[in-house]
Amino acid sequence: MAEKKESEPKQLEEPRIGVYVCHCGLNIAGSVNCEEVAKFASTLPHVVLSQDNRYTCSDQGQEGIKKDIKEHKLNRVVVASCSPRLHEPTFRKTCEDAGLNKYLFEMANIREHCSWVHLYDKESATEKAKDLVKMAVAKVELLEPAEEIEVPIERKALIIGGGVAGIQAALDLADTGYKVFLVEKEPSIGGMMARIDKTFPTMDCSICILAPKMSDVGHHPNIQLLTNSEVKEVKGYIGNFHVKVLKKPRYVTKDCSACGECTKVCPIVAPNEFDVGLASRHGIYSPFAQAVPATYLIDMNLCLNKEGVVVCDKCIKACERNAIVFEMKPETVDLEVGTVIVATGADVFDPSTLPNYGYSKFPNVITSLEFERLINAGGPSGGHLLRPSDIQTPKSVGFVQCVGSRSERNGRLYCSNVCCMNTIKDSLLIKEHWPDTEIYVFYVDIRAYGKGFEDLYNRARKAGVKFIRGLPSEIKEDRRTHNLWLMGENTLQKELYKINVDMAILSVGLESRKDSEVVQRLLTLSRNQDGFFLEAHPKLRPVDAATAGVFFAGCAESPKDIKDSVTQASAAAARAGILMAKGKVTVEAITPITFPEKCQACGLCVKVCPYNAISLNKELKRVDIIEAACGGCGTCAAECPFGALTQSHFTDKQIIAQVDALTEHDADKKIVAFCCNWCSYAGADFAGVSRMQYPPNVRIIRTMCSGRVAPKFVERAFARGAAAVMVTGCHLGDCHYINANYQTQKRVERLWKKMEQNGLNKERLQLLWASAAEGERFASKVREMKTIVDAVKPEEIEKAKKIFEKALEDN
Amino acid sequence: MPERIKHAPLDSKDLKHPAAEIRLIKDQCKGCGYCIEFCPKKVFEESDEINARGVHPPKIVDESKCILCRFCTAVCPDFAIYVVEKQPNGERKT
Repeated sequence: MAEKKESEPKQLEEPRIGVYVCHCGLNIAGSVNCEEVAKFASTLPHVVLSQDNRYTCSDQGQEGIKKDIKEHKLNRVVVASCSPRLHEPTFRKTCEDAGLNKYLFEMANIREHCSWVHLYDKESATEKAKDLVKMAVAKVELLEPAEEIEVPIERKALIIGGGVAGIQAALDLADTGYKVFLVEKEPSIGGMMARIDKTFPTMDCSICILAPKMSDVGHHPNIQLLTNSEVKEVKGYIGNFHVKVLKKPRYVTKDCSACGECTKVCPIVAPNEFDVGLASRHGIYSPFAQAVPATYLIDMNLCLNKEGVVVCDKCIKACERNAIVFEMKPETVDLEVGTVIVATGADVFDPSTLPNYGYSKFPNVITSLEFERLINAGGPSGGHLLRPSDIQTPKSVGFVQCVGSRSERNGRLYCSNVCCMNTIKDSLLIKEHWPDTEIYVFYVDIRAYGKGFEDLYNRARKAGVKFIRGLPSEIKEDRRTHNLWLMGENTLQKELYKINVDMAILSVGLESRKDSEVVQRLLTLSRNQDGFFLEAHPKLRPVDAATAGVFFAGCAESPKDIKDSVTQASAAAARAGILMAKGKVTVEAITPITFPEKCQACGLCVKVCPYNAISLNKELKRVDIIEAACGGCGTCAAECPFGALTQSHFTDKQIIAQVDALTEHDADKKIVAFCCNWCSYAGADFAGVSRMQYPPNVRIIRTMCSGRVAPKFVERAFARGAAAVMVTGCHLGDCHYINANYQTQKRVERLWKKMEQNGLNKERLQLLWASAAEGERFASKVREMKTIVDAVKPEEIEKAKKIFEKALEDN
Repeated sequence: MPERIKHAPLDSKDLKHPAAEIRLIKDQCKGCGYCIEFCPKKVFEESDEINARGVHPPKIVDESKCILCRFCTAVCPDFAIYVVEKQPNGERKT
């Protein structure tokens, strides 16, 4: 791909620019004199047509543009109207329909960034609108036509995690006709749902509804199940992922008929992890009765036969089908897939970190997961409610909610979503079988938000479950009887309580998997502050990862119940299915352009690329770019010290042209703001939508990511006499391009240092992290910068001009 | 399963651990040390005593650790070890 763009593109024809200034009814015309702006635009170089109209986005407006492109032979179009985040696709389509390459179109945002935020200052707003149009014209002149490349997509999917979400996604995709590889690190699929007794709110038996699905997965011709396996390496990009999976040996072949004779003779006994240690298993075992695959396995950490020396052959002798093979070795399986679904699930919170609840110290304090195994007919007690200390049925039980959730001090800040309903379900289960049991539920808030949830809550209350608002501050044990005292404050009645129960159940929250970091690294994903994987858009792309071709299902993305996990799994399967059905994907033409003659093969761009899309070719002294893997942030272009890389559609020349255009007049009064498309530009749009007023001296230049902002753009602005510069991006950790904004931070810090060393007021360069929802944060920053700009003395401007003089040579 | 196990199995009291009685014919031992080396549960250790053949025979450190795999019997070149299983009623089964 890189070869195509090696030479400097030639300007084939004289630019013929058409400018359309939109009134947007009174939305723009109310505070901007659109006629004047259009008149001004006609004076700009290469502008052959300039007009203002009421609604440019209407069919009429679009038809007008199409007609003009043909009649006036326009080869560049600028529309000055709303945010490109809103209507850029609309007008790009208009251009395409008229036979103009869609990359020859540019927008000037004179609504969200101008008329709406300067409602009461028509003069300044008009001046600003002129500047914005001028910047757009300067950029459009340099735009080049581009073709979007098409990448073929392998019609196979990898699903990581075989819980209910992974199972559902696998079945959906396999039924659609795609080949699916389901990788599960445990010996059996089923995940958390297989361990739960009943599901809320319908009180279905969990394993009874899951087991048929598990068995379907096991038998589906399109699903290859890889249990006891872990994903070790993922290379490639959307449509073409190369995956290495480590398949650990079971030491039992598929000939196993799951008769269980081997288990009876195995001399090794250990706690069964599936039952959270409440039941025992042998060295050769099956984790649970409904396990898929049903093949037994040997726990080599426990087995006596290490390193091929068969010390104990009891199981071998017991096995009639000769299915036990101690010589099995781990194997690496290579997979080629087009899409990946991450369904790695969640861990439960470990309450032993909370000393006041005495978990792991007092035998009768158990977690909700242990309780699920206790009340499960297939569990260690055969479904009889027993307490661990004396294996007797408890007469009174206390549930403690929010253990590890919603607390700054004890665990996690977020609500774990499922614990309230789980407790209500559990309390009803106890009441059904042992109606005389006294049940207390200590809660902060009961969150019964879903379909049928409130009914279940009311049923529990009618059944006599006592709900007490206020968590116990401490649990104490009666040493003789092992009964427990729960002490705390009932915040509804404003009185202290001290309640004696036979058993306490800690309703533990969910947290992100301890090994999520591994999956995060393998697939270059982002995680939020709680550790869960971050979706591409919280509302409109809730199952897509920021990495193209990767999707989320289940608790990996956030804590959720079974229904939501299944819903999300089907959604993820559908999203992956769309890609695979198309069989190809187009990549927006905002990938890097290389100039190999300037490249020194230093590898800086390779290091900063968040997508590993650049590889160093030392022999040819150049870099190779995998365009399909490129996210389009442009941080490589900003990093290159030799100008050997630039970003298509956001080239150095184009951005510098924008800077030059806006600093032509009154630069010493202006703020040059670089905003990233996803957060801060959207935040500035939000300020506009909310009509937050701020000073009109700011001019925004849009880049895809703040990581695109090369130090030379900032230097150029100062060299041209700008009063202040503002670099803005997504909050650290929320970057749309994984971590590209960390580069922004480094670069701005370097610039600050340079300014300080040269005796410049470093306040003139500001760095702001603002999300798409933080319009006010953006607006108040501009207000704050107004005071900085007002305080800048002419000699300081001159000094900065001198210091950054070199930046003018460029271009 | 990532959860840390905090409770003993409910059936831990009923679990039958095979009770072994290990018999050493000390004077038959030539002190090769195979039993000490190969016992997967490390039941044996070299003793200080000297037997009829003038070598140190093994001694039993902890009989309760034995899980009756009888590998010692298999590896002993001099047929100097055998293991019997103690039945709850006091009977012995070889």
